[in-house]
Amino acid sequence: MKSILGGLGRKKLPDYITDNISEDLIRLEDLVKVYDTGALKVLGLKRINLTIHRGEFVAIMGQSGSGKSTLMNILGCLDRPSMGHYYLDGVDVAAMDSDELSLIRNRKIGFVFQSFNLISRTSALKNVELPMTYARKNKKLREERARQLLARVGLGKRAEHMPNELSGGQRQRVAIARALANEPPLLLADEPTGNLDTAASVEIMELFSQLHKEGTTVVVVTHEEEIAAFTERIIRFRDGEVLSDSPNVPREPRGRDSAPDAEEGIELRDT
Amino acid sequence: MLWENMLMAFSAIRVNKMRSFLTMLGIIIGIGSVISIVSIGDTMKSVFEGLYREIGVTQAYLMIGYWVDDRRQSDFFTLDDMARIKELFGDEIAYMDSNAYASADALYGRNKVKFSFDGIDYNYPDVQKINLVHGRFLNEGDILGRRKNVVMDTVSAQNLFGEENAVGKTFRTTLYGNVDEYTVVGIYRKEISPFQAMMMGANEEGGEAYVPYTLLTWPNDYFYAVRLFAADEAQMDELYQNIKIFVAKSKGRKPEDFRMNTVQDEMGSVNGMLGGMAMAVGGIAAISLLVGGIGIMNIMLVSVTERTREIGIRKSLGARTKDIMIQFLTESAIISACGGMIGTLLGGGLVMIGGSMMGITAVIRPGVVALAVGFSAVVGLFFGIYPASKAAKKDPIEALRYE
Ligand SMILES: Nc1ncnc2c1ncn2[C@@H]1O[C@H](COP(=O)(O)OP(=O)(O)O)[C@@H](O)[C@H]1O
Ligand SMILES: [Mg+2]
Repeated sequence: MKSILGGLGRKKLPDYITDNISEDLIRLEDLVKVYDTGALKVLGLKRINLTIHRGEFVAIMGQSGSGKSTLMNILGCLDRPSMGHYYLDGVDVAAMDSDELSLIRNRKIGFVFQSFNLISRTSALKNVELPMTYARKNKKLREERARQLLARVGLGKRAEHMPNELSGGQRQRVAIARALANEPPLLLADEPTGNLDTAASVEIMELFSQLHKEGTTVVVVTHEEEIAAFTERIIRFRDGEVLSDSPNVPREPRGRDSAPDAEEGIELRDT
Repeated sequence: MLWENMLMAFSAIRVNKMRSFLTMLGIIIGIGSVISIVSIGDTMKSVFEGLYREIGVTQAYLMIGYWVDDRRQSDFFTLDDMARIKELFGDEIAYMDSNAYASADALYGRNKVKFSFDGIDYNYPDVQKINLVHGRFLNEGDILGRRKNVVMDTVSAQNLFGEENAVGKTFRTTLYGNVDEYTVVGIYRKEISPFQAMMMGANEEGGEAYVPYTLLTWPNDYFYAVRLFAADEAQMDELYQNIKIFVAKSKGRKPEDFRMNTVQDEMGSVNGMLGGMAMAVGGIAAISLLVGGIGIMNIMLVSVTERTREIGIRKSLGARTKDIMIQFLTESAIISACGGMIGTLLGGGLVMIGGSMMGITAVIRPGVVALAVGFSAVVGLFFGIYPASKAAKKDPIEALRYE
């Protein structure tokens, strides 16, 4: 990990970025999230205890409103827990200020949203460059790596396209390329296939499978069994609590030849 | 990163072209008027400077001070006074005359033209550019011999004689009660810009002519002032002070009783007046910059709200408070600086067009332009602070949820 993070910026990175002491990439201890909507308090998560190891491929399942997104937002350091502890790579992020959380999101987490969340009127290339821009990488390096990433997700020829010129599946692949920009150890995806048809969904999941095989820890929220079938562990939620947590024998990804819409082949070799 | 922010700002401006333009309008008008007012002032200054340079910057008039109450006959000048000054200061004085003027009707055949006669010495062309086109200028013999010879410009000749080359022609006029025949010995061409014509009035009907000053000041006439041209501009202040002291002493007065009116002093006071005017009007124009700045703040607030989701995305990717702040500050500064540049082009262009229509070279100082554009960027920065900090403080998850 050190080698990946080395040379990102001229300034020395703080300890919470460079220390990788834990084999438990994610550890939640009595985590509670309360939404205070003024009139009433909604319990989003009720005392969650959960550990995800480095290199796991996990599906989070559950009905709508069961707290999946709430959990993902906290895991992604976009939101803070109301109580309890969240240790990311052994560091408690609950106590961090917003700029420290920005740095964590930038270096340690790749987030993929259901609604893609690409910046409009900004090319695929520029979108993928953004996390590297905020990591203060130089322009040449940024562009080179962004092109590589786009090629890896099969969009090498679409680098200059604007988001509105791409299909849903393609947009989501741009978003994945962007999430991978700073080589984060953790990839979080909240219903990444929710807005996609079956073929595109399968493509996205195959991409995650390959990333997982390369060592990235992947956590995917879904309510479709077919999607969860790709993963190695399925955690089911109900009413803000863990209902079950069981290993899964992953579905074998299809061969490369049959991958649809793969203009350049989906090649996910690390460079 | 700065470059990246600038590119982002430009693309944001491009997306909302019309809105960006309207936002800039206040700044455009503000900077446009500041630039044009300051440039008009500068242009006037340079025009006046040009005029004074033509008149001669070393020129001065020596006379008794208007503040002196007990005027005596001896406070006025005589040819003897002039001779003594000439003797003492010699080559330090390039030119001197008695500053004598007279106005009279000139008669030629049936033509009657009102003429003004300027009494000058033969070496007047040493200190004034006179573009002689026919004949000769007045010579020493004309002056000493008090010959009734004149030199006039082409337009005056045309007005009086109906032709440009009137060398050798004579006309009659009455100076000091004597009707006499005067002979034209030379014709020169006046070169005046349309602006000068406008300022000083074109000589369309009347006439002007140079005559020997000895004709207008003879022999024991007292005259009010002496006209001087110093030979060396660098030493003129000292020379004029010495002349004043000498003249005062010879007339039994204190040097402070005499007044040396120099063209340079006059130039300074005109410049001061123009500068003051430009400052005052420029200050009023600066208020429109304030209004423009508030317009920018308003639109930036709208823009920040509209782009809440974008801000959320950027934060989710690792943008820090500072990054978002700088992004929006860059945008407001660039909008404002663009407005400043357009305003500069408009204001400067207007002054240049106006100037060329009047035949003047407009003076637009690069320093003023840089200052104006820089100042507009600062206005943008200042009024961008509030919207940018609003953007930067947004909570990432709230911002991402924003529809
Ligand atoms: N911003 C919020 N304010 C108030 N309540 C919220 C907010 N976000 C989520 N909730 C509530 O928390 C619970 C869990 O929601 P969520 O995590 O979005 O569920 P899921 O993603 O599993 O559908 C729901 O009852 C939901 O109404
Ligand atoms: Mg959800």
